[in-house]
Amino acid sequence: MMSIKLALRNVRKSLRDYLIYFLTLSLGVCIFYAFNSIESQQAVMEMTGSQMAALRLLSRIMNTFSVFVSVILSFLILYANGFLIKRRKKEFGLYMILGMEKWMTARILLFETLFVGVISLFAGLLLGVFLSQGMAVATARLLGAGIGSFRFVFSFSALAKTAGYFGLAFVFALLFNIEMLRRQKLIDLLYAAKKSEYFRAPRPGLSVLIFLLSLCCLGLSYKLVMANGLIASQGILTVCIVLGGAGTFLFFFSLSGFFLKLVQQSKRLYLKGLNMFILRQIASKINTAYVTMTLVCLMLFVSICTLSSGMGLADALSAELRGNTPFDATFSVRAADKSPDGAYTGVDLLAVARERGFDPGAGAYAAVRCYSADAPVVLRAEGVEKTVYPDFMKLSDFNAVLALQGIAPISLGADEYALNSGVHNEKWQRMLADYEAGGELELAGKRLRAAGDGLYAYTTEVSSIKDFTILAVVPDELLSDAPVKQDLLHINYPPGDGAYEKRCVSALLGFAPGGLEGNLETKVRLMEYSHSTTTTIAYLAIYLGVVSLLMAATVLAIGQLSEAGDNAGRYGLLRKIGVEDRMINTALFTQILICFGVPALPALVHAAVGIRAASKFVDIFGEMNILGSSLVAAFGIVTIYCMYFFATYAGSKRIVNKEYAHQRRITENE
Amino acid sequence: MASILQAQNVEKYYGNRGNLTRALAGVSFSVEEGEYVGVMGASGSGKTTLLNCISTIDTVTSGHIRIDGRDITEMGHRSLASFRRERLGFIFQDFNLLDTLTAYENIALALTIRKRSPREINMRVKEAAEILGISEVLTRYPYQMSGGQKQRVAGARALITNPALILADEPTGALDSKSARALLESFRRLVREKKATILMVTHDAFAACHCDRILFIRDGRLFHQLPRGRDTGKQFFDKIIEVVSLLGGETDDVN
Repeated sequence: MMSIKLALRNVRKSLRDYLIYFLTLSLGVCIFYAFNSIESQQAVMEMTGSQMAALRLLSRIMNTFSVFVSVILSFLILYANGFLIKRRKKEFGLYMILGMEKWMTARILLFETLFVGVISLFAGLLLGVFLSQGMAVATARLLGAGIGSFRFVFSFSALAKTAGYFGLAFVFALLFNIEMLRRQKLIDLLYAAKKSEYFRAPRPGLSVLIFLLSLCCLGLSYKLVMANGLIASQGILTVCIVLGGAGTFLFFFSLSGFFLKLVQQSKRLYLKGLNMFILRQIASKINTAYVTMTLVCLMLFVSICTLSSGMGLADALSAELRGNTPFDATFSVRAADKSPDGAYTGVDLLAVARERGFDPGAGAYAAVRCYSADAPVVLRAEGVEKTVYPDFMKLSDFNAVLALQGIAPISLGADEYALNSGVHNEKWQRMLADYEAGGELELAGKRLRAAGDGLYAYTTEVSSIKDFTILAVVPDELLSDAPVKQDLLHINYPPGDGAYEKRCVSALLGFAPGGLEGNLETKVRLMEYSHSTTTTIAYLAIYLGVVSLLMAATVLAIGQLSEAGDNAGRYGLLRKIGVEDRMINTALFTQILICFGVPALPALVHAAVGIRAASKFVDIFGEMNILGSSLVAAFGIVTIYCMYFFATYAGSKRIVNKEYAHQRRITENE
Repeated sequence: MASILQAQNVEKYYGNRGNLTRALAGVSFSVEEGEYVGVMGASGSGKTTLLNCISTIDTVTSGHIRIDGRDITEMGHRSLASFRRERLGFIFQDFNLLDTLTAYENIALALTIRKRSPREINMRVKEAAEILGISEVLTRYPYQMSGGQKQRVAGARALITNPALILADEPTGALDSKSARALLESFRRLVREKKATILMVTHDAFAACHCDRILFIRDGRLFHQLPRGRDTGKQFFDKIIEVVSLLGGETDDVN
């Protein structure tokens, strides 16, 4: 009973010490629960069978990654726990000097860990349950499912899993604590506080040199990434990563020395208030903590990148999809890749459809044909010539396709042709803008010239990815003898007929007579597939991004707090020589602010470069609107980071002011 | 000469109604400007309490302490902090230098927190270093200095603000005899050249014999005063030892 009482009092007494521990645990539990409860969120959704399957897949992927995440979170718990123990060595020494057995001390520790663990588990679960309510709505929207009547989402399996994983982490922490106690000698426990860190003076001259070197490394790495993008060869990318990593390391290695040297140049700044003290304080800290700083910076970088570009990619994919589905369905037939003779003479798709029990006639449709011909065109844009081999389509067919989309038809002269590409990417847009003139095209013994505004960017079929092919539209009669490449049937469903899609799919999906290859893409099916992909990407990005953010913030915060013990002496000394409380608190605030800011700033720059490179890559799939998702990600990151910052400040302030507050209380009580 | 420090019937009680400890039982004395006064007494005699009360770290139960004409027993918390910063200098037994700062910076810090101009700071640090004989170690960090050098840096930090009163608590406590002698001599020079006023608590008779006058405290009362007068160092030392042996009684810790 006494151990429980002591443990309770200890937790209450050192609540602010436990704050970081509590924060990390609760947030970890919260996010862990939320992402593991995805499957049970279906309770509030109205889903089709394939949406259900997508949800299950998502849930399975999240479960897999959760194992990885749980390892990371356990590591964080152990790390935070180690810090708490270190801070209280003297207290344990005292218990032992008073005659307490080691196992009794261990029992107090057990109860303390248990209290904090249970409280944060509850708090985290509570938060997680709330989060999963909101997430259910988000998941429904991302998957394109309808939202049914509101119901409270609670996943017992996620609860059990969370409790299980974190319980295991606690057990590890506990074993670790007891082992630590068992190995310690009493004298080390009692004098733990007295052992100050070995202080080493910086060498400013060298650090300026290293600092410049680090900037060179980073600059070179940025330049390589920007120039080559993410699809650069493996070799170049590796060089970039190595250069970036080394540059970051050297940057933190030399930063304090360099900065010190810089500020020392201005006596006015250096010899003002506690500036000198703060700078030296940070210099001494970063001097020993540059490895931590590098790691924190890289973790923040990963976090920012995954959060913003992951969400951006999801956005891009769904935006692209809207552009890729001009009709409700496209059914296409062409020669199979490995067909024996390779010759394809065309199929009447309407007849096929009717034969298989589906009449598109109720809706609107267009059956068109693609031809191939060995007729290259030379495009000229920005003074560069490029030879392309287009597919061909009759003008009447092309206009039928446009008409189905509600677009006005184009017209051509008898000796004119036009080009169309569904790719809306930057390159094609630029070509459109700078298009000077196409070269001549020779078809069926006739020379054609490019029409005046003969470059179009219409989407001509429903497909899962952007259509890269370039289509040459020519007068009908020129293609009468050309070999047929593909037949396409574009369909718009009649409004209000819900069963139409189902009939269409059951009739045409999987059509593959000998030597032919049939393909049916419908808007509905693409949407569902895409929703599943985007949701998975977005959720994975958020999950991993937040976890690496938690990791960065915790490592940083605990690093700061462990140093606070050493700082307490220094700040106490300042007080003794007459520095006011307000000035001391400001100095402490500034110091911690700088320590949180220093790894964040390079991480931001890294991320800006990385995201730019990534957005070029994502651009292949469609334009990525990084701004919106970046803002959302930034808001989340800043919120969590600030929480850790203030918790660290509160904790450090407590450590620094403890002695003094104690002393003052004694005198004021009289 | 004006009196810098005046203690009037200072009393200090610790504890509560059930268990009262009287640490100071009506101590009165004064210190003149430019005087170098030692305070001696056995452990528990109340000398540290006296120093704490004078240095405004602790408050008196009754009585008055005037420093430089101002009664510190009637000041508020805020004005005490600024008074401590502006008018008092401290030297501690364990140096209390910041390990992250060089000697120069440690001394300069006392002025930067008082918002002095960089030029003035530079000038005064150099001057103080000259007097205390630490000009050569200004660029070193505390861990690169000897104990004596560290204590002289602390001394420079205490005097650089031109305080009305420098309070030194066992400054030679952590020093070997050679460094202690060098430190005490530099204190003398400080008094002679800069007209500094020093109140030094010590229980080392050798350290005490550098003072102009010694106050002996016993059981919270002023037990005896011993002016140096025209005595030589040796004579003064012998007199001090004599008083100390009386002072200690059966609980003597000065052997």
